[in-house]
Amino acid sequence: MTEVPAILSLKAVRKMFGPHAAVDSIDLEIAEGEFFTIVGPSGSGKTTMLRMLAGMDTPTSGDILLRGERINDLPANKRPTCMVFQSLALFPHRTVGQNIEFPLKIRGEALEKRKARALQLMDLLRLPQSYYGKSVLKCSGGERQRVALARALAYDPQILFFDEPLSAIDYKLRKTLEKELKDIHRETKKTFVYITHSLEEAMVMSDRIGVMRNGKLVQVGSPHEIYSTPNTRFVSEFVGDVNVLPVSLGQDGLLKSSLTGGRLKAPRVPAGFTQGHLVIRPESLRFLSAASEADNAVTGKLYNEYVLGSRIQYQVRVGESVFMVEKLRQQSFNGKLDDAVIIGWDAKDAILVTD
Amino acid sequence: METRQQRLRHALITAWTIAVIVFIYLPTICIALASLTASRYFQFPISKWGVEWWQKTFNSIEIRQLLSTSISVALCVTVIAVVIAFFGALAFARYDWKGRSIYQKLILLPIFFPQSVLGLALLLWFNTLGLPLSWKTAVFAHLVWIIPVVTLVISIQVYSFDPALEEAAFDLGASRWQVLREVTLPVLFPGLFSGALFAFLLSWGNFPLSLFTTGADTTVPEFLYAKMVAGYTPGVPVLGTVSTVGAAILLIGGYGLILAMRRAKSIE
Amino acid sequence: MRMSQGAKSAIPVLLFLGAGFAAPLLAVIWFSFMPARSFSLAGAPTIENYLTIFDGTNYISFVWSLGLAVAAVVLLALICYPVAYGLVRVFGKWATLLTLLFTIPLFVSENIRLYGWVLFLIKNGVLLGTLKSLFGLQLESILFTLPVIILGMVYVYLPFMLFPMTLGISMVPNETRDAAFDLGASRWQVFTEVELPLSMPGIVIGFLLTFVLAVGALAEAKVLGGQQVIPIAHDIEIAFTYAQNWPLGAALSVLLMLVVGVLVLLALRRFDLDSFLGRR
Repeated sequence: MTEVPAILSLKAVRKMFGPHAAVDSIDLEIAEGEFFTIVGPSGSGKTTMLRMLAGMDTPTSGDILLRGERINDLPANKRPTCMVFQSLALFPHRTVGQNIEFPLKIRGEALEKRKARALQLMDLLRLPQSYYGKSVLKCSGGERQRVALARALAYDPQILFFDEPLSAIDYKLRKTLEKELKDIHRETKKTFVYITHSLEEAMVMSDRIGVMRNGKLVQVGSPHEIYSTPNTRFVSEFVGDVNVLPVSLGQDGLLKSSLTGGRLKAPRVPAGFTQGHLVIRPESLRFLSAASEADNAVTGKLYNEYVLGSRIQYQVRVGESVFMVEKLRQQSFNGKLDDAVIIGWDAKDAILVTD
Repeated sequence: METRQQRLRHALITAWTIAVIVFIYLPTICIALASLTASRYFQFPISKWGVEWWQKTFNSIEIRQLLSTSISVALCVTVIAVVIAFFGALAFARYDWKGRSIYQKLILLPIFFPQSVLGLALLLWFNTLGLPLSWKTAVFAHLVWIIPVVTLVISIQVYSFDPALEEAAFDLGASRWQVLREVTLPVLFPGLFSGALFAFLLSWGNFPLSLFTTGADTTVPEFLYAKMVAGYTPGVPVLGTVSTVGAAILLIGGYGLILAMRRAKSIE
Repeated sequence: MRMSQGAKSAIPVLLFLGAGFAAPLLAVIWFSFMPARSFSLAGAPTIENYLTIFDGTNYISFVWSLGLAVAAVVLLALICYPVAYGLVRVFGKWATLLTLLFTIPLFVSENIRLYGWVLFLIKNGVLLGTLKSLFGLQLESILFTLPVIILGMVYVYLPFMLFPMTLGISMVPNETRDAAFDLGASRWQVFTEVELPLSMPGIVIGFLLTFVLAVGALAEAKVLGGQQVIPIAHDIEIAFTYAQNWPLGAALSVLLMLVVGVLVLLALRRFDLDSFLGRR
């Protein structure tokens, strides 16, 4: 699959809690050095999976392999991996320096070596050296994230696991930390396995993304692949607003949609497709002065507009449903509310999904 | 992670806990057994089983007087303690005010205090003031210790009280008195109930304070102690068992009530 | 003078404790400086009572009480920690029922419960009687010996060590323990580096409460110990009643209060009661 060797392999990994399968037979290979993110809504099983990889839980069946060796029964404290927890789990009764040195201290390293390593990590994570003796309770949210990360890196683990560490932080700080995490990943060259419920966050940082739902991996691919070629409706709806049309395949190779009435030109049709959904991202729609300007067009009424920062989203009522069209601010549409408008898209810009 | 080591550890902890529970209830069982003998003295194994002493105890006027004294004391203590501790708990956990942290530590002092010494100090105090000792002075003595305990119990409930509830009611036009009656008291009721339960039971079972401050009046624990030292009859274990079972019923019943209240509230 | 809501609410409690706690204790302190065997507060101040204590045998009772209390605290710490740990981390939904079981004895007066031990341990009591009838063993009763007094104290004060400890252990976040384990610590290291330090507030309260109450223990020595040991509380009682020597009793009480007061002040000085009791 990839030339880079897989550092972590999952083969038919399953975790049952009573009759309920939290993780339902997952096969996955994570390459060494990559930033792999598992995305899914709450209850999708991603936390359970991460805990099994880290050694906090054991799979009910299936194998977890580290560089080809089965590690199912290896406890967390013996695995060459480290986890950054959702609550960060910093030791409140210890200083920044003591927290970072903890993995080294319990392995019996001498104070001088420990301190040197801690200061080196603090540099890497842009924590001032003066923080060494500072109590973690007095640190800000962003600073504590960095301490948690430094602590996880201290004894040089091969893989780092992240359990939604940024979910409880406000937006601005989160955006900053996302980029910093990606930088640190590049600098340390370690394998990062990250879980989050936000596909947006995953796309900023990851090399590859795995979308999880109800214990199964629904799609695995690069951020670009997940975004532009989702294989199911679930995945396509996972990031932001998207237009979804129920369609069925007509004998003439065109799509029939009850919504728009007419026939639609199809994009590439997957084998065996008879009916499903047509997914069109808002930025793929545009306003037309005539229906002939695009492969597919519908008429409707301009219903509302929302300013979304650098983009503006227009809501167009077509019959009973609402289409969302997004344009950059500089190219905003000059129309009044309740105007009749024609919107359209090119066949290649839409995706057919079955679910 | 479920390892064999962990399971062994858990099994040991469970076994130890069961042993401790047996240890705790062993005397209670002995007392219950001792109440079921028909003979006057205690000898094990019991040769003559019988419930005569139960009948004798419940028919005794002396015992009835004791029970009435103990209950009167406990009821007075409960009512007064809950009222005072209610305000005390608000000061403890609800309002931020300047002397709060010192106040919190002051409240704890009567709890972190040897009870027998407290009883004797109060005895001294009452005598100095020239007050005759009776069950009323015992009420006062119990309150010194019990009010702080009940304050803590109610405070635990007050900590999770959302002040926005009161503010909302106030904003909607209620007077301060109505806010208290319609919002504060109902929401805090489980805490007040627990506090009342604690107050009653702690007063009912108290020995050190009662011993020194009841004077001529006698509560059940005092009577039992006197009989234990001299003049043992199986009436002693009868009363002891009644005390224990009564406390257990009140506690379990009270706890069940609180659970039911909580469930009813979450359904609303 | 405008008073905040908090201060106003605190008044009833403070007034009551002032009249019922502070005042008696002040009276006791004052009395300790009064001439021996007098009954009024109007005498000439003197320190003769304190001298009597150190010249006489009273300080022996003091040492005994302190020693017994320390023994009880140490034993209870060892006995209760596994149970507290179990209540928080092992027993799951059984924990509530077990807690209730441990709470019930608190409300039964201690002399009743101690008497159960008498019935258990006395000659022809439950233990010895059973042994005699089943095995024909004629053993001496261990009642009225020192170990039994300690047994009684351990028995009576168990809840006061157990509940604060349980509260302390429950304050250790699961993720923090998991993190220490994940970072490479052995189970023992997780315990010493994370579990124990973070549950310290609860453990300290348990120690303190148990010690302070145990040092004033009276019933155990009387009911179980016969005349083997006279704890300090008994000495105080005798001084106040039979010996009719209030000032001496007061002086003994003051010394006890000093010991207790110093300990409580030291331990509670930097204690954050809000986070301990519920404001999370």
